[in-house]
This record gives sequence, structure tokens and C-alpha cells, in this order.
Amino acid sequence: MSETLLFSLKVVASIFGYFTMATLTRQDLNFGQVVADILCEFLEVAIHLILYVRDVYPSGIFQKRKKYNVPVQMSCHPDLNQYIQDTLHCVKPLIEKNEAEKVVVVIMDKEHRPVERFVFEISQPPLLSISSETLLSHVEQLLRAIILKISVCDAVLDNNPPGCTFTVLVHTREAATRNMEKVQVIKDFPWIVADEQEVHMEEAKLIPLKTMTSDILKMQLYVEEKTQKT
Amino acid sequence: MDDLYLDNIDEFVNDQNKIVTYKWLSLTLGVHVNIAKQMLYHYLQQKRNESSGTPLHATYLVSGKCVENGSTCHKVSVVREDKLDAVKAKMDVTISVHVYSVQRAELKDSSPLYNTDYDAVKENLKNCNKYSAIRCAAAVSLSSAELQRAQEMALVPPVEKEISKPGLNENTSATSKPSAKQPAGIMGMFASKNASKSQESSKEVKTEQKEDSSLVREQSKVSNALKVESKDTRNKTKRPEFVDRDDEEIESQQKKRRRIKKPQPDSSDDEVVPDSPPVHNVHTPSPKKQVKREPVSHQEESSEVKRRKRRRVLKSNTFVDEDGAFVTEKGYVSVSYSESEEEPEPNSQAKYSSSLKQSFGKRKEEKREKSQKKTSTANKPTKQPSIMGFLQKK
Repeated sequence: MSETLLFSLKVVASIFGYFTMATLTRQDLNFGQVVADILCEFLEVAIHLILYVRDVYPSGIFQKRKKYNVPVQMSCHPDLNQYIQDTLHCVKPLIEKNEAEKVVVVIMDKEHRPVERFVFEISQPPLLSISSETLLSHVEQLLRAIILKISVCDAVLDNNPPGCTFTVLVHTREAATRNMEKVQVIKDFPWIVADEQEVHMEEAKLIPLKTMTSDILKMQLYVEEKTQKT
Repeated sequence: MDDLYLDNIDEFVNDQNKIVTYKWLSLTLGVHVNIAKQMLYHYLQQKRNESSGTPLHATYLVSGKCVENGSTCHKVSVVREDKLDAVKAKMDVTISVHVYSVQRAELKDSSPLYNTDYDAVKENLKNCNKYSAIRCAAAVSLSSAELQRAQEMALVPPVEKEISKPGLNENTSATSKPSAKQPAGIMGMFASKNASKSQESSKEVKTEQKEDSSLVREQSKVSNALKVESKDTRNKTKRPEFVDRDDEEIESQQKKRRRIKKPQPDSSDDEVVPDSPPVHNVHTPSPKKQVKREPVSHQEESSEVKRRKRRRVLKSNTFVDEDGAFVTEKGYVSVSYSESEEEPEPNSQAKYSSSLKQSFGKRKEEKREKSQKKTSTANKPTKQPSIMGFLQKK
């Protein structure tokens, strides 16, 4: 049984091009970690793509890279990349324990008022299992579809005012954040409770983008957009 | 044909906010590609005449002869509508223009176009040219035994890359793969402008060039022995672009890992290996040391993987110059495969350099030269830094 699981994880590694050294050496595989790895990789790509498509940063800093066998735009700027990676690194333990309910990328204007919120609602089925070999290529296909949907989202959204910034919020179930405050996963990268202003947006339109359902992961992506952006 | 298709396209474009390419449309509706192109054209006409509702954007495929760098070449481009007239004017002879895609969104780059077709083509891989105008009676799938034999015997000349950054895309989920014959055919393609007798590949091929974001060059290859059923008989060259790694290939020594990381001089993560699909290299017992140089100076030279395994990889170097700006330079350096330290001597062929201001808010206009970056995945011979590195970092 463990050989099958090991093989499945190799399939994960191969298809997603990601190698988790920690989990492969352990005999008893933790599917929560597998799902968290997949999801964090995906969120990294998605955040970069959102920054590109919504013009948060000039397109000059982005370069084409390949993920899930399709071209995606990723930033070259080291500080930005580090920030995104650190953010997701802190989010990962929450996803592993299935405590993260939503990951939100908030785009704010110059006055730090949110104009757009890209909400990734995540849920994991209680019984995780890698049942078929085609599962992971199926998941890859679904993630590809979400990437595609983000690429064309500017058809349904209004343009943002210039000088926007972004931030990432995580909504957790229950009281998981208490642990986060106690234990700093990354030194000098603290998480703070979000302002009410960033969390709730007045006069928001809801625009659904994509839903995906698979055996290991369910995700919904929608955008809350402020009606009057300027 | 009746007009139901107009409603179909309308539903795809307006209700589902999809990008409708002619290829996707032909596979979805089950019609010949030329009919699909006409459908898109009629739809566009109808919607534009109505002049109401949401604005539509279209991309076009323009093919013609033009003189570039002193030599005539046959250029096939996918262009945005606003650049269409300019591109047509640049060509000496415009051979064909047709609608490539229709969508609501104004695309910033060409990646979604590829993404749209990817799954549709993948599903129909064995017969993805069922509705295509390109046919070759001589192109028959190899049986798996023949395929294996061909792979073992293959003396693979490296697949040359062009100015821009092609990747290699072979969907290895297809059992039919005339891979041995294919490199020979590809080599012939590059040397001559006419399409030589080459194997028609069932793979979709795209070459992307990093110039204006609106221009995507598409080169497709057709053998001149083909009975071309399209109205205009034109020669196209097809080259494989993206390589799709399968599970078995991962196990091979040349497994390529793609990991999204920031560019670091010490970890060779986002390099691209500019040569033929490693499957061939792994299986050949005695790889031939053939290094072919392209006549055009800009074109990238890929060196055959020798026993010593030296490769040219794209190194990305980020540093702060005197203005305090971040500069990222990408250059091709020869890297020894066996884990020795790389000497970062950025080649004169380094084409892509961007400088970034430290404050994000500034918008910077920069000149982007043609980049030689490839999108194929890279080998990871060096030890992959573990994620625990982040914990020690700060």
C-alpha cells in the first residue's frame, strides 16, 4: 500500500514539477501536505498572474514561464517574489490542517481602500485519497482552466486606478490564527489581524470566475469588485 | 450551413467569456478548420454591424513573405486586430489572413491563446488534424515496437531553435510518435526556406517571440509531398515547441523540474536547456557528437549532449547597478553538467536585460530585445534547495 502512495507522490512531483523532499522520505504519507504543496504552488502562479493581468505592477517585470504545460507570467523582481513566497509559506501549514477557508488577494488603491478582492475559497474533502492515476493530470487540467480564466478576467472587470498595491489575506476557520501569532513561521514576517476596511468592501459586485471540484481539493474563485473604483 | 453556429459562438464568447480560437471551434463543433474560420468571421461581422453590446476583440493569423535581416522568409504571425494593418504593410506579399480567435477580453499577451487550445488538442491528440487542412498520406503512426527501435537507433541531431524562444512540446501520451524521423525533417526545415520533405507531425507547434507583446510568431511545417486541401496552397513549417514530460520521462536521468523560484545566481532554476527532447539523449547508447550551427547568427546553438555533458543554460543574474536599480541579465553560459561551479560569463548572445526601479510604483518603459529564452523545462542536476531554506533565511 505504501508503495502505491509513494508512486502517487512521484506522479505529483512529476506532473507538477515539484519535489517535496520531506514527504518522500517518510513512509506514511501525509496527504494534507501533498494537497498543501499543490495548492501553494498554484496560488503562487495565480498571484503573479493576477498582478500581471490587473496591472498592479508594470508588465516589464514579468517574464513568461511555464507551469502546468502552459505559459504563465511570473515576476522577476526578487523582493516581490520573496514576499509572495514567504506569504504562502506561512499559509501552507494552515492548508495542511485544512484550517484555511479563504485566501484573498486584495488590490487596493492609493488610499488603501480595496477596489478588488480575488477570493480563493478552498475546501478539502474529509477523506483524502489519491484513487486514480489520472487524478493528478485531471487536477492539473482544472488548475490550467483557472489560470485561463484569470487571464481573461479583464473582460468582466473594470480598470483599476493607477498606483494600486496588493495584499494577501487568509480567512481561517475557528481560532487557528492564535497559533500563527504565537509561532512565527518565518522570522520577521509577522501576520497581523486584518483591518475591517480591507476585509469588507462596501458596494461590492460579486463576479464568479471559476469553480473546480476534484477528489483532493475543491476551489472556487470569484472577484468582489467595488462598483465605483475611482 | 444554418445559423445556429452564430448562437453557439455568441454563447461561448459572451456568456462563458471564453476565448474562441478557430482550432478550438473546429474541434468543439466538429467542423473543418476553414469552416470554423469562416464562422468566426461571420460572427465578427454580425456583431460589429450591430454595434451594440460588449466590445469584441479579435486576433488574426497573417502569413506572407517578407524580407528580414536581408533574407526573404515566410512569416506566419498571430497579431492583434489593432496591429493587423501594420503587419500586413510590412509584408511584401500577403498570402493569407484569417481570424485566429475572438474574445471579449483584450489580451495582454498570447499565453491564453495557447492555453485555450491545449486541452482540446490534448483530448483529440490522435486525430487532432481530423479537421485540419494539412494532410500527409505518408504520415502513419509507428507501432510501439517500431517506436522503441527508432528511439534506440536514433542519432539525433539537435533540434535547432530560432531567434525567439520555442520550447518543445511533445505530448508523449500519444503512442504514435515518429520521433526518429522528425529531427531529420526538422533539420531540413531550418536550412531551407522551402518546406522540404518532412514528416508531418501531429503536434501543434508555436514559436513565441518576445518582441511586442501583440505579436506572436507561429511557424507550422508542412511537407511538400502533402496534398494540401486548403484553398491556398502554401508551405508552412512546423516545429515542435513545448515538451510535455510524461511520468516515464521523469524517471529518466534528464528529468526536468520546473520550480517557480526567484532568479538566483547560485541556483540554476529557471534555466532552459536548448536542445532536443532528452528522451532521445537518454536512450541512445552512443550519442553522436553532432553540433549543427545555424547560418543565421542570431539563432541559438544547441550543443549535443556529450558524454561530458556540457550544456548551455540560461543564467539569470540579478544585481544592483550604480543607479540603485535592479538589473536582471539573462545570458547563456556553458555549464558543466556534473555539478561543478558555473562560470557566469554572460554570452554576447544575452538578449534580455531589464532594469527595475526599486519603487514598485514607477512605470518603466523598457526596450525588450528578442529574447532567447526558452520555455522548455530544465534539468536540475544541482541539489535542489529545500524549502527549509526559508526558515533560516530571515
